[in-house]
Amino acid sequence: MTELLQRMIRKPQGVIGLTLLVALAILCLLGPWLAPYGPEKMDFLGRFRAPGWQNWLGADQFGRDVLSRLLSGARATVPMALAATLAGSAIGAVIGIGSAYLGGKSDEAIMRTNDAVMAIPGLLMALLLVSTLGNGAGNAVVAIALAFAPGMARVTRSVALAVRNQDYVKAAVARGEAAAHVIFREMLPNVMGPIIIEATIRVSFAVMLFATLSFLGLGAQPPASEWGLMVADARQYMHRAPWILIAPSAAIALSAIAFNLVGDALRDALNPRDDR
Amino acid sequence: MRAALTIDNYGLDYLTASGVVPVLRDVSLAIAPGEVLGLVGESGSGKSSLAWALMRHLPANAREISGSLQLGDIDLQSLTAKQLTAVRGRRIGMVFQDPSTALNPTLTIGRQITEALMRHRDLNARDAKALAIELLGHVELRDPAAVLRRYPHEISGGEKQRVIIATAFGCRPDVILFDEPTTALDVITGARIIDLFARLRAETGVAALYISHDLAMMTRVADRVAVIRHGRIVEQAKASEIFSRPQHDYTRSLIAAVPRPERRLVHDIPGTDVLLQARGIEVQYGRAGLFRAAPPPATKAVDIDIRAGEIVGVVGESGSGKSSIARALTGLARFSGAISFDGGTLRGAGDMGAGYRRDVQIVFQHPDSSLNPRHRIGEILSRPLKLYGGDTAAVPRLLEQVRLPASYATRWPHQLSGGEKQRVAIARAFAARPRLVICDEITAPLDVSVQAQIIDLLLALRAETGAAYLFITHDLNLIRQIAHRIVVMRHGQLVDSRAIDAFGTDDVHPYTRELMAASPAPVG
Repeated sequence: MTELLQRMIRKPQGVIGLTLLVALAILCLLGPWLAPYGPEKMDFLGRFRAPGWQNWLGADQFGRDVLSRLLSGARATVPMALAATLAGSAIGAVIGIGSAYLGGKSDEAIMRTNDAVMAIPGLLMALLLVSTLGNGAGNAVVAIALAFAPGMARVTRSVALAVRNQDYVKAAVARGEAAAHVIFREMLPNVMGPIIIEATIRVSFAVMLFATLSFLGLGAQPPASEWGLMVADARQYMHRAPWILIAPSAAIALSAIAFNLVGDALRDALNPRDDR
Repeated sequence: MRAALTIDNYGLDYLTASGVVPVLRDVSLAIAPGEVLGLVGESGSGKSSLAWALMRHLPANAREISGSLQLGDIDLQSLTAKQLTAVRGRRIGMVFQDPSTALNPTLTIGRQITEALMRHRDLNARDAKALAIELLGHVELRDPAAVLRRYPHEISGGEKQRVIIATAFGCRPDVILFDEPTTALDVITGARIIDLFARLRAETGVAALYISHDLAMMTRVADRVAVIRHGRIVEQAKASEIFSRPQHDYTRSLIAAVPRPERRLVHDIPGTDVLLQARGIEVQYGRAGLFRAAPPPATKAVDIDIRAGEIVGVVGESGSGKSSIARALTGLARFSGAISFDGGTLRGAGDMGAGYRRDVQIVFQHPDSSLNPRHRIGEILSRPLKLYGGDTAAVPRLLEQVRLPASYATRWPHQLSGGEKQRVAIARAFAARPRLVICDEITAPLDVSVQAQIIDLLLALRAETGAAYLFITHDLNLIRQIAHRIVVMRHGQLVDSRAIDAFGTDDVHPYTRELMAASPAPVG
């Protein structure tokens, strides 16, 4: 583990990504205690106050401190997006590798079903699931995970097909190894690279999907300070008080960049061939 | 007379994170106009780096530390990028190792030839096309006008290499660099390319640097041969003399490693009981679609018998179905027909139980892809032990069996050389204590000296364990050294099958004779 970390911080991208991610983790853990005000504390005299010494990142339409809302909203946003992406990637990866391993007619059947599911737009799919399962953040995680799985399955399968033709997989098949061994021990480690890249990009999509679900009233509910919900709320005051919109957007962008950089660094560090 | 190409005291380093790696040292070579200099060396000896240095296309981490490169009166190292475009192609041409990647797949053959001709011979489009047709006809391509309209994937590997050679010669350069032009082709196609090269150089009088790892072939293409090792030229001699009077120890060891059919390495006679009997093996890839017929089967009703402890060689050019047989016997490809093994009859991969899987092992051609890059050597070797019942403590013994130190168990595959990886793959096969090992072109990607070591190892393991081998190869000279029986395949059919004693006789199949003619024994 320490070796992996050392390999990751060998490049500046890895250092920046890890620093951002650690900062994000601290926000998620300690956010509410770091915040100068309560996230729902209103101040009618301070509505739309510009960033300054009183409110570092300004105040919103109810005079609530944007910084405090961001800090306490981190734990409602990042862990959820992460959980949804991880679950979706895991499901998709297993479907993709399994399909590539089986090949032939099974592959056709699995991938055509997959394509049919993929044809439903991600948001629509998530809406459908949430309206079936009921409102709430937990169900939103399940919905987003299921909406992500088909895309991940496609990406994974394309890489797994190339790995399937490698001689070490053939050797394992010729040896009479069980399917689970070939899929999880021989093939999975060699398709991890693209899966990690795709997953880190999707974390940012997950944040935005959560925001959209919240905006439509199906995810987090006001007055929660979930970042996507904050962006959605701030939209109508964009011209009057742009900081309400910019602060949570920047937070989403920074966390997306952090996950992307860490994903890149992780891919390089996980590759034993990369000894530079 | 001024030399066509002069390399004087040339030195080259690569800068890597782990320090400076010396690639070439004190290399001094001169090629007279019209002369062909052969450069022989094993992989990693720096011979391709020299070619790229001459083409002025070195990677960014290369550092030239000494010496000069002169093409006629041009100092190659002082040329600017713009001046280089006037030299590359026009004054110095290059033919690459792998014809399948040397042509742009999205452009027609005609576009790619005429572009070079228009640029370097100052022709207009119409004249360039006429010249291209003439050139392609000259390299013995049938219907050159039709070839011009095709895309690279529509012609064979040998035809592609002819197109590249035609382009290189067509620009009338002073010197052409050949970087292993026949390595990626099968024996017969390669032999024809060499004949073509000999004819073209006799006609045009071009000077050439011919790079190869194949010392035996050098005697047929080069006037002089230089032997390179670890970036240094160890010996230069006339091609006719290098085999008969080698001066340097390294050259002698290279010559000793060249397989010669008359020097048998196996002297015993195998038993009479048949271990594996394959009848009517037919492998079919792809199914018939709605609008297209099924492709022809890769093998057509092939019968093979393997006796206990016997070494059976399977030879044939690429696409002859040799590897499909290996894949059928290991259950990797669907087949029809029957395999009798150890009293049981198998009619498909589903019938292959753990017993059959353990008894029949396979070693693949490419050592790079046959070991999982994410598993350490110890884990790779312990898999068959876990699967077939065995003690994982036996890993050091397995490594020792293939003459590797036990400390290799903690290494990653990429930290090993090609020969060492192939040894690990062999150890993995023998971990199962097999009775039949299928070797699918396992020596093809290796240097001759490494190849000889691997063959020694296989024979020693056979003496230890009594395993039989099905040895698939395109190297007829090599297989004639070790096989008890040789099977010749062509277009998926078994055309000839005879014991090694009867191999040189007059009644061999005409195709077998053609194969033998294409792989002549080294002279001297």
